[in-house]
Amino acid sequence: MTLAGWIFLALAWGFVLGLAGYCVFRTFRDG
Amino acid sequence: MAIARERWATKIGLVLALAGNAIGLGNFLRFPRQAALNGGGAFLVPYFICLLAIGIPLMWVECSIGRMGGRHGRGHTAGMFELLWRHPISKYIGALGLFIPFAVAMYYVFVESWCLAYSYFSLTGSYFGLGSMDEIGHFLAGFQGVEKNQHFSSLLPAYGFFVLTFAMNVAILLGGVARGIERLALWAMPLLFVFAAILMVRVLTLDPPPGAGPDQNVMSGLGFVWNPDFAALANPQVWLAAAGQIFFTLSVGWGIIHTYASYIGPDDDVALTGLSTVSLNEVAEVVLGGTIALTASVVFFGVVQAQAIAGQGSFDLGFHAMPLVMEQIPGGRIFGAMWFLLLFFAGVTSSVALMQPTIAMLREDFGLTRNNAVLVTAGLLFLCANPVIFFLGHGFMDQLDFWAGSFGLLLFGFLEIVVFAWVFGMTRGWAEITHGARLRIPGIFRFVIQWVMPLGMGAILLSWSATNLLPELTLEKVAEIDRPYVLGARLLLVAVLVGYWVAVRTGSRRRAAAAEGAA
Repeated sequence: MTLAGWIFLALAWGFVLGLAGYCVFRTFRDG
Repeated sequence: MAIARERWATKIGLVLALAGNAIGLGNFLRFPRQAALNGGGAFLVPYFICLLAIGIPLMWVECSIGRMGGRHGRGHTAGMFELLWRHPISKYIGALGLFIPFAVAMYYVFVESWCLAYSYFSLTGSYFGLGSMDEIGHFLAGFQGVEKNQHFSSLLPAYGFFVLTFAMNVAILLGGVARGIERLALWAMPLLFVFAAILMVRVLTLDPPPGAGPDQNVMSGLGFVWNPDFAALANPQVWLAAAGQIFFTLSVGWGIIHTYASYIGPDDDVALTGLSTVSLNEVAEVVLGGTIALTASVVFFGVVQAQAIAGQGSFDLGFHAMPLVMEQIPGGRIFGAMWFLLLFFAGVTSSVALMQPTIAMLREDFGLTRNNAVLVTAGLLFLCANPVIFFLGHGFMDQLDFWAGSFGLLLFGFLEIVVFAWVFGMTRGWAEITHGARLRIPGIFRFVIQWVMPLGMGAILLSWSATNLLPELTLEKVAEIDRPYVLGARLLLVAVLVGYWVAVRTGSRRRAAAAEGAA
């Protein structure tokens, strides 16, 4: 695994987990 | 003919049901192959661009069309397209959203039953001891009835699992939207994520097998999927593969999301709901799907063989490579059962969705009760699924997958966005999408839906057709002995499509007559 591979993995995981977290937060906050 | 429309009981149930429809076998088997074969981490650049430019906005479009249909008592795309475009032809275009899911269900339930069967085979250790990809391939072929061998002498076990799986689907659908589909999603989706998370941790902590080569470790496995090859970004085929993956993974262009969204309240949000569905699908695909199968394959078989497995197809990865991996890890029977059960959950939450549009049509247009609509749909589907089972080795299933599961949804997705953005019009379209929104959708998406999506999806449809359509039409890759079966499959597809056209024509007339009577 190269450094570039780690960067892409971190960006991709960060994006989808961040998006999912935001949606879950909004869904539960708004009821 | 007017019936009280069913509704989703909870918002979380709706999101999980939509996500259950979107998350399928492809999240765990197709995505890692596409990434590894198309530039590794660099594949994620066109992938996320297509997600933003096609996937998310199309999810919003389909949810808003569905909610609008529900407001007018229409739960299938043929009826919804009549609302979008008051032209006699619109219902026949919309009928594609009934035909495609039904045609896909003809083979999907059988594939789903393999997952249930392999979960059982994992627990009982039926395939344990088979030491090579070749042997495990014969085990699968024997089970599928493609050949008779020492493992299986008849199709009976496969047929039994198919009937069991089919019966489960029917039982869920008999419960209706809230008490059947939603309840299934509420327990199956969390279980799917838990199983996938456990398997991901297991894969990331795998030790190389005895005598492993230097590249047989978890880091090489992750590198195989994620190390970027930036040169791939200059290859148009990579961009096409990324767009295709987004299209297939989100289950847009099928007609199912419309039906599910028709059970949303008339003023309820579709913006946050659609985005939540997409985000759950992406977690299953990018985080979990991208880590489990191919990484494990590299650890046990090395990069060269994993490359070959990835190139061969999703079934090779799921049903050849993964059973061999499970044989070699401690607790493999449990982890194997978990792997195939998660695929089964991904499958069953999608297959019930495939049948629901036809059930909605039979209820709304022909006045059938829920039970009768489910039983008629299931009966017809059962009849149509049998040729797939008995003629599997002759390419019957591949035909359904090609015409309905690939070409059909690309065509329907393109026609749908043109009708929505240009016939229904973006002024009304944008008002529909943003109505009741619990999320502010950036105005740029109005431009994206009107211009980028029709052009982009038209380009995908054209380039996909240019590459695949002619060889398929001329049967150049089909063996002489298989040609009658392939033509039979096409005849069946045409019969089903014509059947739907007749049904939507009759349904439209009955609706018009009922409206006149009411007036």
